[in-house]
Amino acid sequence: MTTMAHGQTEMEIAAGRARENVVAGGALVRHRRASRLIHWSVAGTFFLSLLSGMPIWTPLFGWMAGLFGGLEVCRWLHPYAGSLFFILSILQFFHWLGDMRLTEGDRSWFGPKAFKYMHHEDFPADPGKYNGGQKLFFWAVTLGAIGLLLSGLIMWFPLYFPQMIRELAILLHDITFILFLVAVITHIYLGTAAEPGTFRAMTRGTVTRAWARLHHPGWFQEVTGDEARKR
Amino acid sequence: MAGQTLEIKRSSAAMWGTHTGIRTTPTVAKYIDTTTCIGCKACEAACQEWNDLGTVETHQTGTYQTLPKLDAKFWNLIRFNEREVDGGLMWMMRKDQCMHCAEPGCLEACPAPGAIVQYGNGIVDVDPSKCIGCGYCATGCPFDVPKFHVKTGKMAKCTLCVDRVEVGLEPACVKACPTGCLNFGTKDDMVALGKARVDQLNKSGFKEAMLYDPEGVGGTSVVTVLGHGHPEWYDLPVDPNVPVLVRLWKSVLRPVGVLAALVTAIGTFAHYTKYGPIEPPSDGGSDEHPN
Ligand code: HEM
Ligand code: SF4
Repeated sequence: MTTMAHGQTEMEIAAGRARENVVAGGALVRHRRASRLIHWSVAGTFFLSLLSGMPIWTPLFGWMAGLFGGLEVCRWLHPYAGSLFFILSILQFFHWLGDMRLTEGDRSWFGPKAFKYMHHEDFPADPGKYNGGQKLFFWAVTLGAIGLLLSGLIMWFPLYFPQMIRELAILLHDITFILFLVAVITHIYLGTAAEPGTFRAMTRGTVTRAWARLHHPGWFQEVTGDEARKR
Repeated sequence: MAGQTLEIKRSSAAMWGTHTGIRTTPTVAKYIDTTTCIGCKACEAACQEWNDLGTVETHQTGTYQTLPKLDAKFWNLIRFNEREVDGGLMWMMRKDQCMHCAEPGCLEACPAPGAIVQYGNGIVDVDPSKCIGCGYCATGCPFDVPKFHVKTGKMAKCTLCVDRVEVGLEPACVKACPTGCLNFGTKDDMVALGKARVDQLNKSGFKEAMLYDPEGVGGTSVVTVLGHGHPEWYDLPVDPNVPVLVRLWKSVLRPVGVLAALVTAIGTFAHYTKYGPIEPPSDGGSDEHPN
């Protein structure tokens, strides 16, 4: 058995990765395999729904239908993809719910402070595993998934509903997915280009100590026991 | 779908439009006079025959009406309505079918390119090979006309016999009508005929008689003389319009949504060029793990 830095063995690192919020090797395990799998299946079904829904939305994206074999395929595939997305979202909801309660600190951060954060000027006060923005996104996604399901079911079986309900359902479905799309673009940007070192939390599951100390000092302290000293 | 020899004026989900405009054809229309309709249903039979729709099981509703509503296999329905006015009983028959709106809500709502077209002569037709069976057209229609095949899920409705009209024949229903209450020709001629008939009716005591050619949908290629006025007595909407929410969905929400997505994508890029990434400070990361 090779001994690694910090006196941990490969076995210990592997074991650590199956758990969460522990140190494994020199890194912190942020998302264990189950979490990552759930998140990727949510992401996958989201994009499946998006790509099969957008060609129905506007002919501008009509070419996307070609990915699935035409608009007719999209028509039946989309509601199933969407339903799967909903089920997985709910699974993810309960999986992450415990970490997502908004604290006083989170609340005070919303507003001008969040903008300052985007300008790299103000960091949220001591966020734990998730900061206020992440928590807000979590709750928005949950609401969005419910909105898409309810409106989507009406659009799936339109002839069972009165005309006015159908019109409202389409509007709700569209407003929700547009907001969803805008939020997801931002989410992906923040998780990749904007904050290097974040994306690996969803691939390998780990983040560096420096990353954790910078973005989630509260969580860093909890996991390592080390003082999250000033940035 | 017939109509290949006709120019297409409008098509569903067409991004750049489809109207070449090299050939102008007059708008055609069907004329219906409810006051001379005797409810014989010859038009129903002719429609089933010409369009090869087979037979349907009638649905007894306590009147002479064949079915409660139009159907994917029944595009022409005589609606029978009774009403007591001033102690007298009125028995009203009205031929119900696609109205072929100048501004068709079905076409506006339809997401499948070319599934619903409006020909140069105003006829609104559906191409089942392009229809995806989503039902949006039913949501866009103010007359409850688009219906769906149980097995294929495809929309079906009256074509105004475009396959006959394009070779110079009148629609099958018009051909079959024994009383002359149906007529076919240019829209202008049919409106003139309708106005003359309404005049005649007004003079002979039918004070409320009117010609139904609703403005809200830009007029229709089916003009109906209503002997007693009151479109609602004949199961017709008084002021039909493409639903406001459908217009909002297609004309406002759609461009706004595309723009929002675009602005966000460009915005993230702009943010990156201006502020760059938030890198963890290098002095805090000496213990980076190679994995
Ligand atoms: C939650 C379950 C969902 C259900 C049951 C559902 C169902 C539907 C249905 C029935 C339609 C009409 C077209 C068709 O019949 O295929 C539709 C349209 C659409 N859906 Fe969904 N959907 C769901 C989730 C989603 C998600 C997650 C997205 C995107 C992220 C999405 C985006 C769209 C779009 C863009 C359209 C086209 C809307 C338009 O024509 O204006 N849907 N959906
Ligand atoms: S059901 Fe067919 S015709 Fe009707 S809106 Fe959908 S694709 Fe168009």
